[in-house]
Parts: sequence; structure tokens; C-alpha cells
Amino acid sequence: MAVVELVGLTKAYNGHVAVSEVNLKIASGEFFSLLGPSGCGKSTTLRMVAGFVAPDDGRIFIDGDDIVDRPPEKRDVGIVFQNYAIFPHMNVADNIAFGLRMRKVDKTEIKLRVGEALQQVGLAGYERRFQKELSGGEQQRVALARVLVTRPRILLLDEPLSALDKNLREEMKYWIKDLQKSLGITTIYVTHDQGEALTMSDRIGVMNKSRVVRVGTPTEIYERPGDLFVTTFIGESNLLDGTVRLSTADSIRLALGDGSEVSAPPRKGLIAGQRVKLVIRPENILLDGAPIDGLAGLPAVVEAKIYQGALIRYRLSAAGQSIVAEVQNQIGHTQYDPGSRITAHWHPERTEVLPVE
Amino acid sequence: MAVAGTASQLTARSRRGVFGFGWNRLWLLVVPMTLFFIVFFVLPVLSMFALSLDKPAAGTVAAKGDFALTNFIRFFSQPLYYESIFRTVAISIASSVIAAVLGYPLAYLIAKTEHPGRNTFLMILVLASMQLDGVIRLYGLMVLLGDNGLINGSLIRWHVIGSPLPLMYNVFGVIVGDVQITLPFMVLSLIGVIRSIHPSLEEAARSLGASPGQTFRRVILPLSMPGILAGMLLVFALASSSYVVAALMGGWKVWVLPVHIFQQVSNGGHWQFGAAIATILFVVNISAIFVYQAVAARTSGGRI
Ligand SMILES: Nc1ncnc2c1ncn2[C@@H]1O[C@H](COP(=O)(O)OP(=O)(O)OP(=O)(O)O)[C@@H](O)[C@H]1O
Ligand SMILES: [Mg+2]
Repeated sequence: MAVVELVGLTKAYNGHVAVSEVNLKIASGEFFSLLGPSGCGKSTTLRMVAGFVAPDDGRIFIDGDDIVDRPPEKRDVGIVFQNYAIFPHMNVADNIAFGLRMRKVDKTEIKLRVGEALQQVGLAGYERRFQKELSGGEQQRVALARVLVTRPRILLLDEPLSALDKNLREEMKYWIKDLQKSLGITTIYVTHDQGEALTMSDRIGVMNKSRVVRVGTPTEIYERPGDLFVTTFIGESNLLDGTVRLSTADSIRLALGDGSEVSAPPRKGLIAGQRVKLVIRPENILLDGAPIDGLAGLPAVVEAKIYQGALIRYRLSAAGQSIVAEVQNQIGHTQYDPGSRITAHWHPERTEVLPVE
Repeated sequence: MAVAGTASQLTARSRRGVFGFGWNRLWLLVVPMTLFFIVFFVLPVLSMFALSLDKPAAGTVAAKGDFALTNFIRFFSQPLYYESIFRTVAISIASSVIAAVLGYPLAYLIAKTEHPGRNTFLMILVLASMQLDGVIRLYGLMVLLGDNGLINGSLIRWHVIGSPLPLMYNVFGVIVGDVQITLPFMVLSLIGVIRSIHPSLEEAARSLGASPGQTFRRVILPLSMPGILAGMLLVFALASSSYVVAALMGGWKVWVLPVHIFQQVSNGGHWQFGAAIATILFVVNISAIFVYQAVAARTSGGRI
């Protein structure tokens, strides 16, 4: 379908920088999420692509056409808003036909395509309803149908699930993803919900303080965050204070607080003596009574055990620091009571060393 | 007895929550307003109706109850009188249309001005023009529109025209006066409605392919209709019943219903005939409400 490229996109409001130097290349048919905390500039980025906000600097290309100077109606970009923006004075059929009428499509074809679109979003028979007579989920489907019926080159979604209740949100997550896949439409999805981004996206761009700090597949983002902000924003991480002893092309030796040393995967640009954080996800920590060969390990004391049903969560003290571990509550797994002296293990390749800024 | 009553009221009250009224007692809140309304509106209007059905008797103010349609027959049999209905309605409709056309852009500008300082400034501009007494504003207009007023004076001095243009003491002058007096009401009624149109509707229309003009015609204007109609009804009511504007700007040459009423009552002491004309004006205004309802229902597109 269409390739989107953002080059050096920058926008400030009265001197307050909302988006700075955003460079992204989104492949044809890709589901790309912009993920980040509130106020990081996700919506502003999306609104620049839609044409509602003029960037101070930078270019936006769709299939190589620079669209920065085009008004929204000449961009062929479909957008679904957080509040759905269904026209309240038109019924569902007229809402969906709106874009086709603007494109001067002839009447019989409009009728046909509106019918198809309603079928596609599972709302056949809703033609005569008005916005007031639709639930949130139905409004969202209408909003999607209204956009998709015009066959836009790209689809923009700004937190489309945040107004729905939790169950519906789960359902719509997969439904939107499936629809997107079957249409193969290039999609930019804005959300502050990491669960949505991880399950729906082909790739994610994590934003913080007006910048895109990391781009990657959900697996890459989660398992190799490569950035302290991304690590803490997505999922949960143990951040152990350490000092680099030795940094080679193959591995890093780290000294943790109490003098114990561990190995970690290599990272460029680190020098001996540098203060760093060792990042370990709670689910990557294995607990055992005795050291296991081939794994990194630290002697630890169980401080607290929190039963969570499917998971058991431990708070440990190791190397003079506090560590959280999560263990699947499976049959045959030993449980440890507070006060137990055990060893906390992990696969070194499941950890990351990040410099402290 | 009294003590027991208070105690049981107190427990009842605590069960009913903060306001101390159950739904069945909420109507107590509107008693003062209702009394005011009955004494100062319903009674005078009823006595006016009654008076309009009395036989003409110069100088008599109180209704006697000698039922006769004399006043109405007289009104509807003389073109001098019944034509003034059409004149009144035409002037009022023209005023409300012009006020809507002139007021909409200003209301839109104010509704879309986000900067708090600028917004307050524009609002003060609108409200201040309302605070100034109508008569004073009309004298201002007369200075502008009179035969040797600013406009005619300048045009004659620059030899654009030889004799003054008829800008006042005619229907045109009355409409200008009505629009001038009612414009703030129109603008206020529009601002609220335009503000309530969510900006994302405009953006959705644009990105679906509508130009700014199409967006206005197909989304903003239809959604503004409730405010436009309410404003027009307000202007219609004010313009159709304004004696001051018709007298000052029309100079007793534009015979609308309020001028007839004033002439009958004040100059001739013909209270019964005056009351009959007032009743007719009242019916005209009530009909306007029905027209408003009908149009509102049609333009709301199923939203009610
Ligand atoms: N129209 C505007 N005028 C002034 N500042 C704005 C405007 N729009 C956004 N901003 C500012 O720009 C920054 C980025 O806003 P943006 O709406 O893009 O954030 P976001 O990432 O979408 O946040 P959220 O998750 O809360 O929607 C914020 O600090 C915001 O206050
Ligand atoms: Mg946002």
C-alpha cells in the first residue's frame, strides 16, 4: 500500500517543544505504534501527518510524495479520533458516505460501498441510526468504516480504545489488528498503553519528552530496550547498580554493590570504572536453593513472598540491593518463605547493561 | 405537635440528602417565580385579552366584560391596520436573518478564540454594546443615518450624491435599528452552540476530503442550526415588539403593530382597540415559536 517517512519532524508551541527531530520510516502494510507517556508528543506527531498541525521543520513523505504543504483533505489519510467524531446530525449511512460524497463518487457506487463497509465492521442494518443510538464500540466501528470506505493510503488511530471499557478494549484490540491485517493498510497507532502496543504492532516507536527514543519490534523493545526510559516504561525491570570492571567485544564484567561480580552481554562505548545499571526482568530470575552451572547467580535472601495466583512474586535482597522476581505458580515448583537463603539466577544474555546518564 | 412535626421532618430530610427536598417537594423552589409570573405576566395578559373583547369606550381602562368582536372586525377590515401585520413580520424576519448573517462570523471568531485575553476582550465588546441603553444607541444611529447625518453629509460634500439618500424614517432605518439592538443577543446565542461543536468533527470532515467551505456547509452550519434558530426567534420577538426602534428610526412613518398600539392607547385613549392589536401581536409572536419548533425539528436530523 503505502510507505510513510517522517524526516526531522519538529513542532514547538510557544517555545515549548512538543515534537523534536522525529525520523521514522514505516513500511507498506505495517502496523506501527507510537507509544509513550502522556504529553510526550504522540498526538502532535500524528496530527502533523494528518495535516491538522503544521510542523515547524521536517518533511512527511507518503510513497515519496512530500505532503507537508498539503491541506488535510488532499492527503488521502484516514484518521480515527479518540472520541470517534461521528457527525451527530447524520445517520450512520450518511456518516460513512461523507468521504465518498466529497470525492464525487456516484450514487449507486456510494450505496454499494457503504453497504460493504458496514458489513466489514459488522454493523449491517445500522444505516439509519444516529450517533446517540450507538454504543462506544459501535461508534468506533462506524468511525473506522467511515475512514476505510474512502480507501486512504494510510490509517491513523489516536488512542482509539481508551474510551472503551476493559473487556471491549481487549476484544477490539484483536479485531482492529485483524482488520488491519486483512486490508494490509499502513497504520500508525498512538497509545500510552504498552499492552496494546505490544500485542498489536509490527513495530513500536517509543517516545519520551518529544523524541522517539527507540524503534523496534515488540520483542526487541521488550527484551532489548537499550534505553533506561524504555526499560522502565515498558514492563517491569530490576535495575541493579554496578560498576564496569572490564568491557570487551564479547562480554562485560560488572561489580555489584557488595563486591560480587557478574557477566553481561557486551555493549559498545562502556569503559572500566563507569557506573551502569544492570537490567533484569523479574520473570527472567530463576530461584534455586543452590548455584546452577552456566547461569549468573547471586546469593539472596527472601524478604517477602506475594501470592498472585498465576504468579508468585518475591522480593529478594541480593548484593546489597532489592530485587523482584516473578515465578510461574506451577506444580512441582518449590516455594520459598521469607527468610530463606537461596540463589537468584539468570541467563546473562537476558540482561542488559545501560549507562547511567 | 409542632416539635414532633419538626423532628419527623428532620429525619425525613436526612433521608432525602443534601438539598432536604424529595422530588415531590422540589416544586416548592419555583413557588416565588410562579407567583411573580402569575401576578406580573398572566394577569396583565389575561386582562389585555379581556379588554380586547370589550366594546370600544374611549378613556375606559378596566375590562367590563361586554363581549364584542368589534375591535377585531375593525382591525381586519381596514388595510391600514391589517397590512401592518405583514410589515411587522417582514421587518422582524429581515432583522433576524440579517442579525444571523452578521452575527455568525463574530460568534465563530469568539468561539474559536482560545487566547483567554483576546476572548475576554471580544466578549466585553459584545456585552458592552448591550449595556448601553437602546435609546442612546439609536440616537447614535440617527446621527449616522439622518438626512444631514455623517453618511449623507459626507456623500453630498464629496458630490457623490445630490440629495440625501433615504436611510432613515423608513423600513430600512427600522431594520438597521432592530439589527443593531438585537445583534448581541444573536451573537451570545450562537457562541454557546458553536463552542459545543467538538473540533474533531471539523478535522474529521477535512481529512475525509472536505474543503474548509464544504466542512462549514455540511458540518459546522447544520450543527449551528439550534443556535441560529434560537437567536432568530429571540431577534424576531425583540424586533416585532419594539416600539422604540419603530418610533425613532421609523419616525412614525413605518406603521408596525407596536406603533399602532401606542397610538391607540396613548394618543386616543382607545384601550380596547389597543388591547386587540396587542393580542394580535401576541398571537404573531406565539406563531413564531411554532414555526421555530417545526424548523428546529426538521433541521435537527433525528437528534431529538
Ligand atoms: N494546541 C496546543 N497548544 C499548546 N500546546 C500543545 C498543544 N497541543 C499539544 N501541546 C503540548 O505539546 C505536548 C505534546 O502534546 P501531545 O498532545 O502530542 O501529547 P500526547 O503524547 O498525545 O499525550 P496524551 O497521551 O496525553 O494524549 C504537550 O506538552 C502539550 O501540552
Ligand atoms: Mg494524545
